[in-house]
Amino acid sequence: MNSERNFALWMVMPAAIVVGLVVVWPFIYNVFLSFSNMSLLHIHDWNFIGPRQYEKVFSDTAFYTVFGKTLVWTVLNVFFHVTIGVALAVILHENIPGRRMFRTLLILPWAIPAVVTALTWRGMFHYEYGAVNLILSKVFHQTPIQWLNDPIGTFAACVITNVWLGFPFMMVVALGGLQSIPKELYEAAMIDGASAWQRFKTITLPMLVPVLTPAVILGFVWTFNKVDIVWLVSNGGEPADQTHILVSYVYRAAFNLYRYGYAAAGSMIIFLLLVLFSVTLMRKTREKAA
Amino acid sequence: MQPEDRAVLTRVIQRYDANLPNVEIEVIYKETEELRSNFQSAALAGLGPDLIYGPSDQVGPFATMQFVRPLDDVFAADDLTRFDARAIVKFKGRTYQLADRIGNHLALVYNKKLMPVPPQNTDELIAMGRAATKDLNGDGVTDQWGLVWNFTEPFFFIPWLSGFGGWVIDDNARPTLNNEAAANAFRFVRSLREEHKMVPPDCDYNTADALFKEGRAAMLINGPWSWSGYGAAGIDYELARIPQVTSTGLWPAPMVSPLGYSINVHSDGKELAAATELLRFLLSDDVQREFVAATGIIPSSLAVRADSNYVTRPHVAQSLSQFEVGKAMPIVPELRAVWDAMRASYQSVLGGYLSPEDAAAKMQRDAEQKIQEMNE
Repeated sequence: MNSERNFALWMVMPAAIVVGLVVVWPFIYNVFLSFSNMSLLHIHDWNFIGPRQYEKVFSDTAFYTVFGKTLVWTVLNVFFHVTIGVALAVILHENIPGRRMFRTLLILPWAIPAVVTALTWRGMFHYEYGAVNLILSKVFHQTPIQWLNDPIGTFAACVITNVWLGFPFMMVVALGGLQSIPKELYEAAMIDGASAWQRFKTITLPMLVPVLTPAVILGFVWTFNKVDIVWLVSNGGEPADQTHILVSYVYRAAFNLYRYGYAAAGSMIIFLLLVLFSVTLMRKTREKAA
Repeated sequence: MQPEDRAVLTRVIQRYDANLPNVEIEVIYKETEELRSNFQSAALAGLGPDLIYGPSDQVGPFATMQFVRPLDDVFAADDLTRFDARAIVKFKGRTYQLADRIGNHLALVYNKKLMPVPPQNTDELIAMGRAATKDLNGDGVTDQWGLVWNFTEPFFFIPWLSGFGGWVIDDNARPTLNNEAAANAFRFVRSLREEHKMVPPDCDYNTADALFKEGRAAMLINGPWSWSGYGAAGIDYELARIPQVTSTGLWPAPMVSPLGYSINVHSDGKELAAATELLRFLLSDDVQREFVAATGIIPSSLAVRADSNYVTRPHVAQSLSQFEVGKAMPIVPELRAVWDAMRASYQSVLGGYLSPEDAAAKMQRDAEQKIQEMNE
């Protein structure tokens, strides 16, 4: 028995060492930094200063503004990822012509690197030469929108880009979930005269919830921390530093203004917020299932 | 570094490396901002490349954080006499960067087909810019613009700020942004777009560059890294000084900053010796001549600048003329906070969210606050 346990430990050890080096140690180091005064002038001779960096983060009004934007950003994105993903999955689950081709095409956004997606969409949102405004003005005869010069326009551009990038993941998860729902349930419902909407509401959706819950939690965490899309589409928070989410705000504090201690405290707060959200959601789901 | 520069760098390093069987040189390219953040992370961990190439404003923070080594230890004063003094970048009395080129300055680039003679002052700029802005096919959409430039970046705003009598920071690294000069410069830039409609409503670096390369802009403001690309795109272009501001009589002074090499503080022993030798090679007259032949740089070597081959090259006289009225970029970490503060206010003025006066006051306030936070 002991030799079996030792063997298992030896097998796990390489992975544990790697995880320790690339996850646990940087995390612990970040915790230390968040209680330090590490900055431009104290890069090598930093000292512990207690929770002062946390006090600074919480007393900064910009933090709350950015936090509010981050919540709106996350909720909007996850909402559209799930609704578009589930809707497309339901359609693709049916026997429609060209189903395989559509599946492949719809997964494409997921396969393209996020950097390429962000820069392509940024070009498409250009006021005069971007495809979005050209379609708006030439096809729909609407006034072009100042996407990238206006804080709301830029925020919307970031959301649209990230929705495009993120819905295939939910679609794939939902497609997997749909295949595990017994067909007999639908047949019984049809015999009872249930409409398509009633079948979706009473069979499909409840049966998808256990599959979608972990995906929604993951999607929430990923989107909350989705710095690349916001940074690249808004060109580093433009216009006038109005387009930030918490992660880009913290990134700027660390790498533009050399406020490492402050940024570490900010990143710890983000981490705790996400832990709180994930634990709460998982508990609620378990309670509901029970 | 632009593709033309990178091609030269790759070529000369391959040649140099071929003669050194025991040394392997790896060149990694990063955009300026990416280099700054990546090198910070690497140097903090005691890693990073032995040689770092970039603009002189990165010297302030890197030297403050002790990420780069003073070069006075590895280069004797006599070694440096062959360089333009502006290529020897000092911070707090010690040399931290040696540049292979000086300048890196913005200038007016004009398409000779669309505008045979450049404007001399801002009145002419407006008149000629308006005349060159055209809807060529009558569909109500402007097809050709009078002037384009990276409208959103404060670095490109500096010529106008200085032309109206302002500057970013004083000798004690205190921001000097809340004044009439800044408000007037904001007002002027906004008027080019709003009132005179001679610049596109949405014009970032890539848009400006593309419009000029497509022959759809008569004038452009850009730096030496871009100029050879316009010739390659088939544009018959010439350089000129950014026009004198009529109301002040001042020539706009773009920031002048050397581009050069620093040595990583963690480079030691054999690596340091190899890096020093490579640096000597990269700063040599022969290598600078190769860069001059391929691009429009102002070399730091006085001998190369005195070459008749250099002086008679196209565009050199005009570039030097703009360079003469430029102003040295401050080598202090506080400049980072100033850029950050300026960017937000500048974009707010352009977006119509702040008046020029309020924007000037706000950028001063923001810059002071950011400097205080940086120096905590």
